[in-house]
Amino acid sequence: MTNKSNNGFNTWQKSFEKETKKNFSDAKSETDEGIDIKPVYTRDDLENFSFVENNSLPGQWPYTRGPKASMYTNRPWTIRQYAGFSTAEESNEFYKKNLESGQKGLSVAFDLPTHRGYDSDDDLVMGDVGKAGVAIDTVEDMKILFNNIPLDQMSVSMTMNGAVLPVLASFIVAGEEQGVDKSLLSGTIQNDILKEFMVRNTYIYPPEPSMKIVADIIEFTSKEMPKFNSISISGYHMQEAGADNVLELAYTLADGMEYVRAAMSKGLDVDDFAPRLSFFFAIGTDFFMEIAKLRAARTLWAKIMKNFGAKNERSLILRTHCQTSGVSLTEKDPYNNIIRTSYEALSAILGGTQSLHTNSFDEAIALPTDESARIARNTQLILQNETGVTKTVDPLAGSYFVENLTEELSKKAWDIITEIEELGGMTKAVKAGIPKLKIEESATKKQAKVDSGSRVVVGVNKYKNPKEPSVDVRVIDNNRVRDDQIKKIQAIKKSRDTIAVEKALTNLTNAAKDETNLLIPCIEAIKLRATVGEVSKALEQVYGRHFAKSLSVSGVYGKHFEGDEEFMKVESKIKEFENLNGRRPRVLVVKMGQDGHDRGAKIVATSFADMGFDVDMGPLFQSPKDVAKDAIENDVHAIGVSTLAAGHKTLVPELMKGLKEIDPKSKIIVFVGGIIPEQDYDFLYENNVSAIFGPGSNIIESAEKVIDLISDNLSKE
Amino acid sequence: MELVDKIIKGERAAIAKAITLVESSKDTDQQISRELISELIKKPGKSIRVGFSGPPGVGKSTFIESFGSYLVSQNYKLGILAIDPSSQITGGSILGDKTRMVEISKNPNTFIRSTPSRGTLGGISMGTREASIILDAAGYDFIFIETVGVGQSEIVASNLVDIFTLIVGPGSGDELQGIKKGITEYADIFIVNKNDGELKMEASKTAADYKSALSYYKKLDALEKQVLLVSAIEQTGMEDVIKTINQIIDQNKLKGIFDERRADQLEYWIEEEVKNIIASDITKRLTSKGNIPKYSEKVMKNEMSMYEAVETITKDTLKQ
Repeated sequence: MTNKSNNGFNTWQKSFEKETKKNFSDAKSETDEGIDIKPVYTRDDLENFSFVENNSLPGQWPYTRGPKASMYTNRPWTIRQYAGFSTAEESNEFYKKNLESGQKGLSVAFDLPTHRGYDSDDDLVMGDVGKAGVAIDTVEDMKILFNNIPLDQMSVSMTMNGAVLPVLASFIVAGEEQGVDKSLLSGTIQNDILKEFMVRNTYIYPPEPSMKIVADIIEFTSKEMPKFNSISISGYHMQEAGADNVLELAYTLADGMEYVRAAMSKGLDVDDFAPRLSFFFAIGTDFFMEIAKLRAARTLWAKIMKNFGAKNERSLILRTHCQTSGVSLTEKDPYNNIIRTSYEALSAILGGTQSLHTNSFDEAIALPTDESARIARNTQLILQNETGVTKTVDPLAGSYFVENLTEELSKKAWDIITEIEELGGMTKAVKAGIPKLKIEESATKKQAKVDSGSRVVVGVNKYKNPKEPSVDVRVIDNNRVRDDQIKKIQAIKKSRDTIAVEKALTNLTNAAKDETNLLIPCIEAIKLRATVGEVSKALEQVYGRHFAKSLSVSGVYGKHFEGDEEFMKVESKIKEFENLNGRRPRVLVVKMGQDGHDRGAKIVATSFADMGFDVDMGPLFQSPKDVAKDAIENDVHAIGVSTLAAGHKTLVPELMKGLKEIDPKSKIIVFVGGIIPEQDYDFLYENNVSAIFGPGSNIIESAEKVIDLISDNLSKE
Repeated sequence: MELVDKIIKGERAAIAKAITLVESSKDTDQQISRELISELIKKPGKSIRVGFSGPPGVGKSTFIESFGSYLVSQNYKLGILAIDPSSQITGGSILGDKTRMVEISKNPNTFIRSTPSRGTLGGISMGTREASIILDAAGYDFIFIETVGVGQSEIVASNLVDIFTLIVGPGSGDELQGIKKGITEYADIFIVNKNDGELKMEASKTAADYKSALSYYKKLDALEKQVLLVSAIEQTGMEDVIKTINQIIDQNKLKGIFDERRADQLEYWIEEEVKNIIASDITKRLTSKGNIPKYSEKVMKNEMSMYEAVETITKDTLKQ
């Protein structure tokens, strides 16, 4: 039976066209993913599926409806809030408080120096210690972190990719010294290095040795730690960096395939490790799309794993953690974020996630306070206890729209996966920089939609709050944290057996030269109190440190503004500037310290260039001194500092000092963009910052302000 | 001029400002920059100017980073002028050199300036020649001029430098037939990069291909063109590069080729400048008289032939 040929549908179509004064065939809206959403779906839309099977059941092939038969009716999802900051002592206190208030699992956030394999006393990490997570230098810190938290009972998830070896080793040794054998440890280590090369940039070594390390960990855990998930294959950071849902889905699964191959190349049978692979997706504001994404992910993964020859049913099943979108949070009118997060959480639940982190509303500006963390946790507790969503498994199954969307997403993602496979897999694609570029292109498009107003963000580009509320934020005194950490490192270095440590580190370096599983010599070194930085350096001697080449998109942003008045106004101001000054305004866009989130910096660079600026793009992980030298040698008019990891209070004054050291009369102006709590604005202005652009700033307006500031500054000469 | 003293003292900010002046399209800036260059040229340093070019993807910047680090470790002062190819015709440009030369850009003995090419002839920007004069006066031992290989740029770049180097990747020997004509004449050294890992065999083979192809191009007066194997990633072969550069420079100085080249280049630039001035003057006259549309209309109406129109306009424009 086809509906379109029957009278019912024709009558509906007529009414629709009469009400909307539009042709039905034109009444579609296109999503970021390039999927046309129709105003109505019917039973016809359930036909000709190649991925989704209409009569499948939860816990059964192709697992579209969920990994388990009973899902939340038996046990609700795990509330797993990601947290960590400053010292291990303070994070430990925070964890214990959360566990008392109903949280079930722990999820540890490490600070950037730990991610990148630097000790807290390293000069390179001055501004970053304890800022975006907890600082771990030795196993002693790890032991403090889990003080009075029994590791045989608590599942611990660790977001760690760069310094996976020393961190996992410290976790194992901390357990051991608590009296818990490694076979009893449960939890997950993220260990997903491929996406670091695409978006997050907290890698240490080049792609190939990094993949070897991933495989070593999968091998070790599959043999020695049966309750521990060896990897959490993450799309989260891709969406955060601006990927649409098809890109997130396809690249994540393609990453997964690459890890499966890496583990199989170590001689493991696919069923030995596949049941311990887990996933991690972002849940943004596109409500139904996000639900469809989780359903599509399970459908595709089952197919992929079958192709790998998996026989154990558990190998076919995709289990996932989800986190509500950080990038959907706004600095403006921040209480709106509670509402956004609630809807996102509902999407994740209707999509069938196994565990969930809900963001705190203040995370667009700073780390959560005790109060905002409580609201975030309660968002989930209310869903579990008050709304009734746990009572039925996969309640949207059979929805014409959701099933169709699941199929569409699957198809589109499958095409991209096939493309990557044809290139020779994700490691090769990543080395060529293709996924990174595609994600940046998608991010730039999204930003252009918001800036041009074609996408509404409540409180930002429409329905603005005339009286912006002020919000208290958590302040980390990173200098104090750094001093504390340095004292601890010094004490440990004094009391340990130096000769034994050196020998263990040499063993590790030697092990990196052959095929030995590196986790074993790593555990030995950590046990003897070698630091995270020392272990990382021992491996660096063989592998080197990776520096990413940076490719940039151009023209993507400007294309959205053809004929746009505001855009043309800035363009003409720039032309005027060029005529008057004999060159275009030139801006150096930089990231300083260990903060690798470069989406914002990239978008600013490409959109500013589209408007007519000459933009110098600085490399990642620069020191303020290096930035000053670059800026002066290229005689730029302005420096734009992008900061998302809270290091600005240390790094910006250092930059100012650096500029004056080279050129006491320097007139280069500095503007700052990113995540900056309002409480820091005065401090930055006092340090001669000319402008501050928080999250959600309109780029065209920001560009106009920058060109005005540069012009004013020059006219003062 | 105060700026001259500061440049000679090597003050970083002064050098940078001076380069801005010589790159500027503003009349008053150009006036100052002419005075500045006239002053600086009286106080020449001892720089050797080395051109680097090569097709995208051969690891040019990685090589420069690697070779530059080696030079700096030998206590040389190094200036780099990078012509960034990423500029667009409309809009601004993104200059990404900083992301490709991370290590040397930190070193106090380097000065790295990138310039958008703006689509000018051969990717050499207005002011590159003058910028190298500034860096010379400021006491830099080596000045690298990096361009992207788009054919024409090599010829222009080679007229700016004392020694011209082409960087190629393994496997490029087959393309030699296609590219050799212009470039082989201008390049003094061929560097085959990526002589590492799995590509080692391929790199040696490519070097051999180049050597045999180049043997047909021997010039009587100049030193034989050199083919070198390096790995930018493993930093191998760098001593050979500097040794070869020094050898060629010494030989050329001994035989008088070094000065001869600089004299030829000066002629080239004088000719270019004169052509530029005449061309812009003629363009102005053509537009102000409006002869072209007038005669074009006559041609359209068959009142005169195109050749007659061209001849009449030319005569009319050139008298005065």
